[in-house]
Amino acid sequence: MSGVTLKNVRKAFGAVDVIKDVSLEVPKGEFGVFVGPSGCGKSTLLRMIAGLEDTSGGVIEIGGRDVTNEEPAKRGVAMVFQSYALYPHLSVFENMAFSLRLARASKSEAKRKVHEAAEILQLTDHLDKKPSALSGGQRQRVAIGRAIVREPEVFLFDEPLSNLDAELRVQMRLELTRLHKQIGATMIYVTHDQVEAMTLADDIFVLRGGVVQQAGTPLTLYDDPDNRFVAGFIGSPAMNFLQGRVTRRTEGGMAVAVEDGELEVRVEGAAPGEGTDLVVGVRPEHLGPVESGGFTAQVEMSEELGGNSYVHSTPPSGGGDIVFERRGVRERLTGQTVRLGAVPENVFAFTPDGVRVR
Amino acid sequence: MAMIRDRRRHKLVAYSLILPFVAIFSLVFAYPTFEVIRMSFTNAPLIGEGEWVGWANYRELLTDRLFYTSLKNNGYFVLLTVIPTTALALLIATLVNRLSGRMQALALVLFFMPYVLPVSVVTQIWAWMLDFQFGILQPAIAFFTGKPVPVFKNPNWVMPTIAVVTIWWTNGFNVLLFLAGLRNIPSELYEASALDGATKWQQFKRVTWPLLWPVTALVLTLQLILQLKLFDQVYLLSEGGPFNSSYVLLLMVYREAFQLNNGGYASAVALVLFLVIMVVSVLQFQLLRIGGKNK
Repeated sequence: MSGVTLKNVRKAFGAVDVIKDVSLEVPKGEFGVFVGPSGCGKSTLLRMIAGLEDTSGGVIEIGGRDVTNEEPAKRGVAMVFQSYALYPHLSVFENMAFSLRLARASKSEAKRKVHEAAEILQLTDHLDKKPSALSGGQRQRVAIGRAIVREPEVFLFDEPLSNLDAELRVQMRLELTRLHKQIGATMIYVTHDQVEAMTLADDIFVLRGGVVQQAGTPLTLYDDPDNRFVAGFIGSPAMNFLQGRVTRRTEGGMAVAVEDGELEVRVEGAAPGEGTDLVVGVRPEHLGPVESGGFTAQVEMSEELGGNSYVHSTPPSGGGDIVFERRGVRERLTGQTVRLGAVPENVFAFTPDGVRVR
Repeated sequence: MAMIRDRRRHKLVAYSLILPFVAIFSLVFAYPTFEVIRMSFTNAPLIGEGEWVGWANYRELLTDRLFYTSLKNNGYFVLLTVIPTTALALLIATLVNRLSGRMQALALVLFFMPYVLPVSVVTQIWAWMLDFQFGILQPAIAFFTGKPVPVFKNPNWVMPTIAVVTIWWTNGFNVLLFLAGLRNIPSELYEASALDGATKWQQFKRVTWPLLWPVTALVLTLQLILQLKLFDQVYLLSEGGPFNSSYVLLLMVYREAFQLNNGGYASAVALVLFLVIMVVSVLQFQLLRIGGKNK
């Protein structure tokens, strides 16, 4: 049985298409993450799955059931909102028991389910408090608890951690992973933070302009991006991009002239002909000082993180900030001109339109 | 030494800042209030000194049948207006709140317009509309009762009619208060409750109503105070008639003070009304607050 399936789903607000023909599947029990810059339609897509937004076209299936025109309550989904959306006039217990009260569940059943959820989320001591008496992280847990109590097929999270401070966010991220293991339900999570996406997801769906750019496991997206957008969006610090032109074919790929030197790129298929304009991308961790080959850049400053450091440098053309990572080295390069290169397997090439050349 | 001088200067600045308010407050509120209290124990005319008569005015009040009639009519009017206007305003506000952008503004203007009108214009409009011979609402009344009714000259109709006029006149402001309250409820709560399986009615009962309760309590209390102070509409529409069936306490104050020149007695009536309003509104607000806490 499948989890959540979207087939050619569209959403238009007036004349503006916000979601354009999205098809995707989050298998049962998996943790799917929609990630993308703000305005990419990820939240809209999640709200469409929840039934809070109408669907303009296509089919949404949950557990093999077509729910495209079903009411939110009958879709078997529970949602955790960015603002938590806790009922301020009700205690933590009543907040979590809200759906059970509506369904006229017996008192003992409500009590049992709420206490079970409270146990999982370590909220047992706070059940009598009002939401206003709780910290941000606790409120977040109450919101999750309210979802758990409903025992939905699918949990939906709409940027649930963005109102928390950095430390708490890391902690809640781990708790969510643990929770997912414990409950085993399908979860769909929306975030603009690619680190959250990488750490939480079984499957990531990168969205831009209402279109899924690429879907896959976190490492697939990282190691083998389909296009320049995904390559630049996934990974921190972001991938370096350099304008280049194909100079010659090599064994297993091509050489691309960039700045005052060249980089070799591994290409599986037919390499583009000589003189073709390309964009070359290298991740900071794959770029580093080399004896020969590569291109030169002048080091501006380094971010020293102890174990590793990110060195920011400027290429001769002056265009863009080239970042490379160094590990276990204490020598400062500030002000020096270095020669940077990478092995062909770690250099990606994209057409000027951003499509990956493989 | 410097500290002490600074503190003295501090106090001086503080006093000079509150002085204008204290002066005006004393002149136009504290002093007149004190005078009314003093006058209520004398047999003074409206202007000029009177003799101290102790509790005589209050004793007379207790045997004055018009006082009881007026008190009863005030109570009747409060019953006719306070809860109905609050309920109506809440209903209108929830409906207006569902409209979008420009339509909402338009609807709000329409409901708020009467509130802008001066009371004499309001009473004139309704006096015309309800005129026994030419009023355009008389056919509607005749439809239900079988014959036209001279509403301001009929003891059974006069108070309810004044209540309707008053509600029409003042309801817009309450709608505004409720609308502000409704806008303060985050839309996520409705989305969350929809996902939890709440129907529209359950959403109203379990989300809107409890979260709107502070506004409701405020509107109820403001209305209670306002409607106990009823004077203009009665004075302009029925002058307390027929057979004193729309006579109210403020009308009595007005008559005793300005028509019969009994300043002392009028002060006693005014003071009693003041106490009634104080006690009832404080009591009501406290009760509503307790009610709100138990929700």
